[in-house]
Amino acid sequence: MMQATPQARSAGLRYVFPVLAGKLARFATRLRGGGSAFPGYLTNRLAPTLLPTLADQFRYGVVFVLGSNGKTTTTHMISEVLRAHGLRVFTNPTGANLPQGVTSALLADATLTGRIRADVAVLEIDEGFAADLADRLSPSVILSLNVQVDQLYRFYETERVADMMLEASKRASAHVVVNRDDPYLSKIDVDAMRAPVTFFGVASDIVASSAHGLANAVDTRSGTAGIIDREAFAEVREVSGRDVVVRVGEADARITLPARGLHYAADAAAALAVASGVLGAEFDTQRAATGFASMAPAYGRGEVIPLRRDPAGEQVEFVMFKNAPSIQMNLDALEGTPERALIAIDEGTPDVSWLYDVDFAPLPRVDVVTGDKAHQLALALAYAGVEIGTVEPDMEKAVAIMRSFPETTTGKQTWFVNYELMMIGRRILGYGDQEVARR
Amino acid sequence: MTQISIVQLYPAELGITGDRGNVRTLEERLRARGVASTTAHVGVGEPLPEDVDIVVIGNGPLSALRGVHADFVARAQQLRSFIADDRTLFAIGGSAELLGERIDLTDGDSVDGVGVMPYRVSRTRDRRVGYITVRTPDAAVVGFEDHASEWTLTDESAAYGTVVAGRGSYSRGDARGEFVRHRNAVVGNVQGPVLPLNPALADVLVSAAAARRGLDLPDATPSPFDEYAKGARDAIERFVHDKGFKTIQL
Ligand SMILES: [Zn+2]
Repeated sequence: MMQATPQARSAGLRYVFPVLAGKLARFATRLRGGGSAFPGYLTNRLAPTLLPTLADQFRYGVVFVLGSNGKTTTTHMISEVLRAHGLRVFTNPTGANLPQGVTSALLADATLTGRIRADVAVLEIDEGFAADLADRLSPSVILSLNVQVDQLYRFYETERVADMMLEASKRASAHVVVNRDDPYLSKIDVDAMRAPVTFFGVASDIVASSAHGLANAVDTRSGTAGIIDREAFAEVREVSGRDVVVRVGEADARITLPARGLHYAADAAAALAVASGVLGAEFDTQRAATGFASMAPAYGRGEVIPLRRDPAGEQVEFVMFKNAPSIQMNLDALEGTPERALIAIDEGTPDVSWLYDVDFAPLPRVDVVTGDKAHQLALALAYAGVEIGTVEPDMEKAVAIMRSFPETTTGKQTWFVNYELMMIGRRILGYGDQEVARR
Repeated sequence: MTQISIVQLYPAELGITGDRGNVRTLEERLRARGVASTTAHVGVGEPLPEDVDIVVIGNGPLSALRGVHADFVARAQQLRSFIADDRTLFAIGGSAELLGERIDLTDGDSVDGVGVMPYRVSRTRDRRVGYITVRTPDAAVVGFEDHASEWTLTDESAAYGTVVAGRGSYSRGDARGEFVRHRNAVVGNVQGPVLPLNPALADVLVSAAAARRGLDLPDATPSPFDEYAKGARDAIERFVHDKGFKTIQL
């Protein structure tokens, strides 16, 4: 073990061995094609003070992004807006939002002596570990996006998920940012926070005019099911397809979203509120808009891939979902009825009871239903009145069927997929290892 | 013409696991036999319509159980008569827990039950999550369990099913039990939702309601629902058989 005195929180030679060990382990794990947890674990064991030391070096601090839905997208938005202001941004790869994954990602970026080269860290963090990680990484800003009926499978109680976010938020040193339109989060005890609380939201008339609102969980605890009235510092004021206007403080940011959908607009307001908090007087709505303009669709969200390996030919638009709120928001955001649709769920989504709570009206017909759970999915769709072409649990065969159809007039098919089948679908189409860059 | 009247109780608070799917299947199984039905939603403070045949109640978090608790307990006498009158009740998850005598929570606190079903419930730290298959006298049932509750039956003859794969809700001799049946009240912890996946179980409920009305049910006409439900059951059986099932510990 290293010496136990955790006095100096500065980088230095004493971290060479732990960082090197971590990097080597990371390299070895990569070769095996395995997960990235072990290197972080190893380094934590070798130098428990390393993590706080790394985190302390970000001049603009560390931002935590929490929430049931939209963590990856919003992390990406914040990062791009900060980059557009000239900051060097460190961010963790999609899904690496558990403590060991975050450590591994930090290690990959650190020099051998434990020095960090970025100005700010924007990290998506699993709610279950947020408070614990906050104790080690001392975030300046903690953003909580929403509490939706999703983590039921992991945490059972939505209110518990809300409490995890609010508890972690107490640890933010500069800003707590929460969703004014989320019933649980809107009731945040402002006085219990160390840092001032900033709200973001979507103007109420815009929420009211969308088919299913924002799909946040109803508060079954406090006696007030809905939100309580809060002034939003960053508020979505206009939505026209992908073009939205967000009022940030006194200024309007006119931005283009990476994909259509009210949830993306809400995420954008959250990102702008955070960026404004991180940058202070340096924040500029023009630069923020530039950041959004440079944003490629995050992995699997509105991403378009050639159906038959021909970049000029028919395309597949991937629409990823993981639960009732996310599929509902995506269905509500559809631009007309998809000409050809595939829908797929596998065992990566263990419980699909929630399918019966989705309004599938925007999707009157699907051509192919696929994945391990194809029949469970087809059953729910049939009850929802959706016309079904073929049920084919094998994704390879399903793709072959989709490729056998005549080309659509729009030149586009729409595939609704859970995360696992998005990865498999991309691979079958020949784009498995070609990641859409996140940085 | 006789119409079967269905009520979903507390759909807003206790409907978190696609519970309206159970209602849809009851409607569909009646329709497949040429029997018409009406469905009403009843919330906190609203009276049950006259002469209801089937009451369906769903699942929700503890906070939601607390939210409906006073209203639910106030209906105890009416529900007791409802069951004694051989009407049909189907409850899953949190509402099923509340229909028993008491729920003991992990923090030592407890919640009084409505007291119309013969069991006590202890919430556990051990989560039971994954596919489950159950053999009942009337149907082989598949579904998904996701709960942390251990039931103790105060009337063992009310045990309705034996767990084949999965964890279940109570001990049944050397085995595990799932589903409790008292007259025509059938309750348990199987979601999915369970009735769309298992039309045979829905038929048990539908037949009971029809019999009480003196209706003679013809055979069901086949529908695409049957085919998809069979495909889903086969896939779940295969999955359980090939891969076992996972349990997540909190
Ligand atoms: Zn990017």
